[in-house]
Amino acid sequence: MRYEIRIAGQMSETLAKVFPELDHVVVSGQTLLYGPVVDDAHLYGLLTRFQSLGLRVVEMRQLPE
Amino acid sequence: MAATDETPEAGFADPTGDPMLRTRFALPSRPAMFVRRPRLTEHLDQALGTPLTMVNGSAGAGKTLLVADWASGLRQPVAWLTAESTDQAPGVFWAHVLQALRAAGVPVASEVGSPAEASRVDRRTLTRLAADLEGRDTSTLVVLDEFDRVVSREIAEQLEFVLHHAGRGLRLILVTRTEPLLPLHRYRASGEMTEIRDAELAFTPDEAHELLTRHGLHLSTSAVQALVERTRGWAAGLRLCALAARQGTDPHAYLKQFEADHSAVADFLLAEVLDRQAPDTQDLLLRISVLERCCPDLVNVLTQRTDAEPILAALQRENAFVHYLGHSWYSLHPLFAEILRAHLRERFPGLEPELRSRAAQWLRRSGALPEALAQGAAADDWEFTARAVVDDLALGQLFTGLRSDDLTALFERMGPDVRGPAPDLVRAARELAGRDVEHGLAHLHRAEEELARDGATDPAAAGLTCALLEALAARLTGTPGRAERAAEQALALRPEVPGHLLDEHPELNALLLTHLGSARLWAGRFEDARTVLSAVAGRPGGAAMALPRWEALGHLALIDYLNGWLGRAEHKALAAAGQAQRYSLPQRSGAGLGTLVRAAVLIDRDELDEAQALLDEVAASHLLGEDPVEEAGRVLTRGRLLLARGDARAALAAADAIVPAVVSSPWAQDHAAALASAAYLAQGQPEPARKVVERVADRRAACTVQAARARLAAGHPAEALEMLHSLPETDRPGPAVTVRATLVRAQAAHELGDHTAAHRLLGRALLDGRREQLRLPFLEAGPWIRPLLSTGRLRELAGGWLVPGPGHGPPAPTEQPQPPALVVEELSARERDVLRRLAEMRSTEEIAADLHVSVNTVKTHLKSIYRKLAVSRRGDAVRRARDARIL
Repeated sequence: MRYEIRIAGQMSETLAKVFPELDHVVVSGQTLLYGPVVDDAHLYGLLTRFQSLGLRVVEMRQLPE
Repeated sequence: MAATDETPEAGFADPTGDPMLRTRFALPSRPAMFVRRPRLTEHLDQALGTPLTMVNGSAGAGKTLLVADWASGLRQPVAWLTAESTDQAPGVFWAHVLQALRAAGVPVASEVGSPAEASRVDRRTLTRLAADLEGRDTSTLVVLDEFDRVVSREIAEQLEFVLHHAGRGLRLILVTRTEPLLPLHRYRASGEMTEIRDAELAFTPDEAHELLTRHGLHLSTSAVQALVERTRGWAAGLRLCALAARQGTDPHAYLKQFEADHSAVADFLLAEVLDRQAPDTQDLLLRISVLERCCPDLVNVLTQRTDAEPILAALQRENAFVHYLGHSWYSLHPLFAEILRAHLRERFPGLEPELRSRAAQWLRRSGALPEALAQGAAADDWEFTARAVVDDLALGQLFTGLRSDDLTALFERMGPDVRGPAPDLVRAARELAGRDVEHGLAHLHRAEEELARDGATDPAAAGLTCALLEALAARLTGTPGRAERAAEQALALRPEVPGHLLDEHPELNALLLTHLGSARLWAGRFEDARTVLSAVAGRPGGAAMALPRWEALGHLALIDYLNGWLGRAEHKALAAAGQAQRYSLPQRSGAGLGTLVRAAVLIDRDELDEAQALLDEVAASHLLGEDPVEEAGRVLTRGRLLLARGDARAALAAADAIVPAVVSSPWAQDHAAALASAAYLAQGQPEPARKVVERVADRRAACTVQAARARLAAGHPAEALEMLHSLPETDRPGPAVTVRATLVRAQAAHELGDHTAAHRLLGRALLDGRREQLRLPFLEAGPWIRPLLSTGRLRELAGGWLVPGPGHGPPAPTEQPQPPALVVEELSARERDVLRRLAEMRSTEEIAADLHVSVNTVKTHLKSIYRKLAVSRRGDAVRRARDARIL
């Protein structure tokens, strides 16, 4: 599975390193994180990590393979 | 035997004792700049009228401080628990909830018990907790903070159960980042829920204005409005913003710039605030981000400086990052800690494990072992972590108590390349706990070899740990000599270990003695086994001692049963069952020896369906390979039940079953032979019946009696009498043996035509048997007995318990062979009310109506009464209560 997760605001490079498994790019005041997600557990883990870092998830979608 | 349940309070960890734990039960204090928001506290007031309240918002939304501030203004006590990730296990979670109630000064009655196994809480504990809360004059307020850390569906279901049954007695407040798994829709639909969510938690412009003013920032209405929009009223964002702006030269310009910026709020602001701190402070903040909680001394170890105290105090004063927990302990706001760790990893790559290692060593020195182990494991410093467990004599906790699952899981990540005696001891313990004796022993032997060479590990502590594991291996393999050697080794080493460690970990010795007792029992040395097992059964202590105490009671019950003392055996088995309920045992082992003994006693009383139910319970909970004592007990009891039900062929097969053990057990063999002989007799084959038991007939009374039965069945009454002339003196047999012996004599006399003697002997058997309700021997004795029981004095003696009709019925209390009932826990006033009505032969429904309570409440009281009196039936409860002069 590959996912794309859109976060409100520009993320710093420092914080982006908390998600080494994902690539990121900043687009018009939002940060897009994308990359492989192993399974549901990984997905929920990512969501928890966003939340514990005070990041707001705006959108999340599975990418076509 | 000493009372077994006499110290309900001694064992509970004192929540005021451990500073680490204490902070989890304390209402968090509000910083000086805290803004009270009346619209929210007024909404929270509704929480007093609804069973469930949920304060649900993102990290840094100000949930905890809101609820803490509101709760501190209440007149009623508030039980506060800050959840941690270890609270996933139901046993740990509920033990902490009960501690929170005690810490708040509203403890529950001791009869509620407390879980002693991490992963399990007894439903009866929850039922009694709910009943206790329901019965109070005022409702009890319980706050569970950071409840998002508890993701277990099982716990959510249990909370729902308690909430439902406690009725008005419980007001539960969940403070959480995520929706809990409770059926919220139901509470919402019935208006039984108070709910405060993110949108309501967001600061209004007026509130934000007050917050900023308190931070020394005086802004125009429009500037505040803009800031609220930019941060979406997020408390943490506003706070960081105020700090960042205040530290710059031109706050207004800074805020303008922030408004126009598009960065993620917390990420950006935290970096800004961090950058504006003095270098020493920055360094300190980054380093303490690896700690859950910290105090100046610990922080100095991480910074390798001495200025932690003033820096922490200043940070707290400015409301920047840290909370004060009291008693010189601080914690970072979890949101900030998380982001600071990201900065730490970037600025000082590779430093994190080193910091954790240093913290682990400090924590261990100051006696905070669980925290030290967590840090050591997070640092991947397995040698330290394993050595800390061994040197502190804490390895016994891998087998018993609330920490066992935690410890087992902690070392799951230890790789096979970690070498040394301590890591190998931990591996051996884990394998043995999982009943893999072969691998366990391999690790144990390697550890012993390494110990001979290694200087770092404390040899005495490691030696004691080896002895414990050796004793366990000896018990599991049925090798009594090995257990004795282990016990001797332990005895020799004890003086070399610091006394305070032995006091802190009584479970180590208790486990060792239980294993020794079990091995001695297997060897047939009942009196020696009883000596060590009684010492364990009478030992007070909490969670970690509950398992050894329960096991010791089960073994003691088995000894009484094997000697033929059914009443005593049942009493101890019921006491063991009481322990199991109270401490939510067992998980690790099967339903235990106690249950087997209860089943065996019921078989002798010809209550076969009840016995079957107990045996099914044992079979259902049989999770791990057990020791040979339990295995043999299981096989023999099943065989006896099969025989009592008339399936002699299956009983023979059971008697033939081989229990694997290094050293064979005399009693297991003898009782199997007696069972086989009885099964042959039931098939009408006196010759094999005689053969199979006669080789062991002189070894124990039960076998002699069975051999005499076989002679009698073969038509040699005189020989049977001759055999019974001298019973082996090795044990003092109880009624289950003597009644059978008397019955054989009676039958022999009957067949020899001495009817006076037959009458007299049968009368004696009935008198002795009646006390124990020992029906099976009379049913097994054969048809000759029936005409004798139908008339005269014998009929009178048998009436009411063995044959239908009037008779003496249950024996008068003075005839009780047992010592005065051992009432270990006081009955509550309510329970005495119920008991008095029980004595008046009223039904549950009548008692409920009379006391104006529900039928379920009466049933809860009844269960509690049975447990306290160690009985299982109404009649017995009334009788025992009369004996103990409670009625």
